[in-house]
Amino acid sequence: MAQILVVDDSSTVRNEVCDFLKANGLTVTSAVDGKDGLDKLRADPSIKLVVSDVNMPNMDGLTMAEKIRGELRNTTVNIIMLTTENSPSMKERGKAAGIKGWIVKPFSGAAVIATFKKLAV
Amino acid sequence: MSSKTDSEIKKGIQIKTKLRLTLALSSLGLAFMCALGIIGMNRALTTITYLGETKLQAALNVGQMQGSLLKLGGINKAVLEYKDVSGEYRLFEGLKADRDDVLLDLKEAWERYEKLPKDEEEQQLWASLVDSSKLWEKADKKLDAPLIELSARHDKATHEKLMFQYEGFLRDIKTGETYMTDGVSGLYRYLSEASVKASNDAIAVVEQSKKQMIGLAAGIILFSLLFGILMSRSIHKPLTRMIEAIGDIEKNDDFSRRVEVQTHDEIGVTIVAFNGMIAKIEASSAQLRQKTNDIQTMLQNMPQGILTIVDGGLIHSEYSAYLETILETDKIAGRQVMDLLFANSNLGADTLSQVEAVGGACIGEDIMNFEFNSHLMVTEFEKTMADGRVKSLELSWSAITDDSDMIVSLMLCVRDVTELRKLAAEAGEQKRELEIIGEILAVNQEKFHEFISGSTQFVEENQALIKNTDTLQTDVISQLFRNMHTIKGNARTYALQHLTNVVHEAEQTYDDLRQNPELEWNQTALLEQLQSVADLLAKYEKINEVTLGRKGPGRRGSVERYLMVDKEHIHDTLLQLESANMSSMHDLVEAHKAVRRTLRLLGTEHIGETLDGVFESLPSLAAELGKEAPVISIEEHGYVVRGQVSGILKNVFMHLLRNSMDHGLEAAEVRTAKGKSAAGNIKLELGSEGGQFTIRLGDDGKGLALGRIRRIALEKNMLPNGEQSSDEEVAKVIFQAGFSTAEAVTEVSGRGVGMDAVQDFVAREGGSIHFEFVDNAEGADFRQFQTVVSLPDKFAVHIEA
Repeated sequence: MAQILVVDDSSTVRNEVCDFLKANGLTVTSAVDGKDGLDKLRADPSIKLVVSDVNMPNMDGLTMAEKIRGELRNTTVNIIMLTTENSPSMKERGKAAGIKGWIVKPFSGAAVIATFKKLAV
Repeated sequence: MSSKTDSEIKKGIQIKTKLRLTLALSSLGLAFMCALGIIGMNRALTTITYLGETKLQAALNVGQMQGSLLKLGGINKAVLEYKDVSGEYRLFEGLKADRDDVLLDLKEAWERYEKLPKDEEEQQLWASLVDSSKLWEKADKKLDAPLIELSARHDKATHEKLMFQYEGFLRDIKTGETYMTDGVSGLYRYLSEASVKASNDAIAVVEQSKKQMIGLAAGIILFSLLFGILMSRSIHKPLTRMIEAIGDIEKNDDFSRRVEVQTHDEIGVTIVAFNGMIAKIEASSAQLRQKTNDIQTMLQNMPQGILTIVDGGLIHSEYSAYLETILETDKIAGRQVMDLLFANSNLGADTLSQVEAVGGACIGEDIMNFEFNSHLMVTEFEKTMADGRVKSLELSWSAITDDSDMIVSLMLCVRDVTELRKLAAEAGEQKRELEIIGEILAVNQEKFHEFISGSTQFVEENQALIKNTDTLQTDVISQLFRNMHTIKGNARTYALQHLTNVVHEAEQTYDDLRQNPELEWNQTALLEQLQSVADLLAKYEKINEVTLGRKGPGRRGSVERYLMVDKEHIHDTLLQLESANMSSMHDLVEAHKAVRRTLRLLGTEHIGETLDGVFESLPSLAAELGKEAPVISIEEHGYVVRGQVSGILKNVFMHLLRNSMDHGLEAAEVRTAKGKSAAGNIKLELGSEGGQFTIRLGDDGKGLALGRIRRIALEKNMLPNGEQSSDEEVAKVIFQAGFSTAEAVTEVSGRGVGMDAVQDFVAREGGSIHFEFVDNAEGADFRQFQTVVSLPDKFAVHIEA
């Protein structure tokens, strides 16, 4: 049972984000890539928000987002991408996959926490 | 334009009413036509019924009567024809039966006819027939008896007798029969004619009715047609006009146009509503235009750079005009923001790619993305302009959203903060200087002098050591460290904090090298670092000598006594600097001025700066006197004056220069006549004479009017040696109270309170003032001279020229 799923192949980023969210009273679970993320989401229907990296091995974040909407038929979970770059084609795919937001790294806790709390309930 | 009011318009005939009226009138016409038809038919029917029920019936019965009479005639004739055939009684029997039948028929027809209604003429015919019939009936009855006899079997004689009898009766009947037959025929004729007439009447009624109906139908059709056309025109015309007007308005975007209201029906109401709508559109489009104009005006005139970034990082064509001033280009619209703003900036590639990513992450997305990412937006950077100048630009970002909170563009305010940052840096520098002044003032002049010269020696020694050493050598480093450590120790003792910090850094470098011999021996870096120590030492020395005027070892307690600024004042000024809002130009400028005032009070300045205000007043004074503005030259000879005497100097020289303008320098034409330049020359010369600081003032005017002064002084008995007094003695009179040579008291001078007051000012500060002749024309009416103001030497500092 967790509110937020953090998906990132870098353990540093993953832990940093998870620790920050936990410190702010949110329940968090994490996954190491898109495939793992899909499994975790399938196993835990209580997840309300997915915060995911874009570039990951096995399955990237955008593909995962598309599969969440397609294979999993999950249209309610909020998806936010963590990224370092932003191209029009990425944004187009993101829009189609119903991605709520893009956060450019480095991530500022103060700027996102209020919105995350809203999206995680 | 519509000039009709609502209430007026409501009074009109509505289309609804028009349509109903058309329908009602058509129906009415149709009903009328039907009624007329029915009436016509009825009339025909009545005639035909009358014909059938009376005249035809009557004719039928009368016809039957006629027939019966004819048959009776036939039977009678048959009876006579068979009179010769004896014994044929059976035949008579048959004729008798026939006669009975015919008589019955006649009687029936008679009775039927009797009951029928009759018109007047018919009644008369009938009455005469009835009269005739009575006669006839009586005669006819007589025929029955012989006929019955004849029917029985008779002998011939009886038969002949009977026949004879019958013949006799037949003759008797003849007259009655003729009357009867004539009466019935007359009646039948009349009835036939009456029937034909009635039938003709019926036909005529039907004919008339037919004509009436055709006429009426034509009339109704024509009326309906005309009325319909009229109605449809009254509906169609205003509709067409409205449609045309709407088309025009749409084509020309001319919302000031109105459709004229000509009818008062639903179309009129529609047009009024349409006009109302157009008026609203006109008002709101005017409002929109006004707002657009306001925004345009703002964008044109605000002293700030404002632009919006749309999808793809492109700059929208509407941006503030001032942006062109800031960025020094007019090629802005449609450019890539990354290229326009951040080309030639001090931002690294990584920062730039971050800014680009943030822009992409925001535009076209939910507003939350701006919250997520705005902390990564660059808020200040430096940009190198085409000519190499570097501008500091401050950025503030905001998101422009649509109704559904999607970011449509990013707004960027660009402020040129170059001046502000420069001022802030200057303020920082001033603060440092003030702090250093505070530090220096706390140290006795002699000790400070010793510290500076000692420290300078150590720094020079270290410089030489570093220059002459190529590789790291322990003993050299130790020596360097020891020297720097000594400077630091002394600086710390005297609480010279700024110096201590810089020296500490150098000492730390040497200590590191001492502890870790494997470190690189970088001569250049070391020399650079040492130079910063040397520079700061020089700064301390310069502030001490120039600003504070404490050159040399000094005499114990000499300067401090004359300092008009105490430490508290410096502290206050520092506070003001520290509390200044670094982003406010005004605050910074004010703080800057305050520091200048403080520095001036405790510092020194060039005499030109001191007397600046006085010099500035001379051209207008010259104009008042009808003279050319003088040319002023100053020879400083390396002397600057202390800020605290600037007030006295201003007062003194205001008087002296005014006197020079008024009494000394001649008008332009007089000067040109004498071969001098049109504008007078005034010269100030600073120097030191007999341990005193002197300021000499001279001009190339007509000189001191000694002749006149001597005369007036003699008259007033102001010369101690009378006529024998020397020129010098005469000149001194000018400084006595109540002396004036001016023939008219001018605006400028000549109230006789000038020079003695000036002398007082100078004397109060321990100085003196006197005239010195610079020519050898002893006893002349006019002599060239200089005014010499002497002041204690503490009021000036001699610096290198």
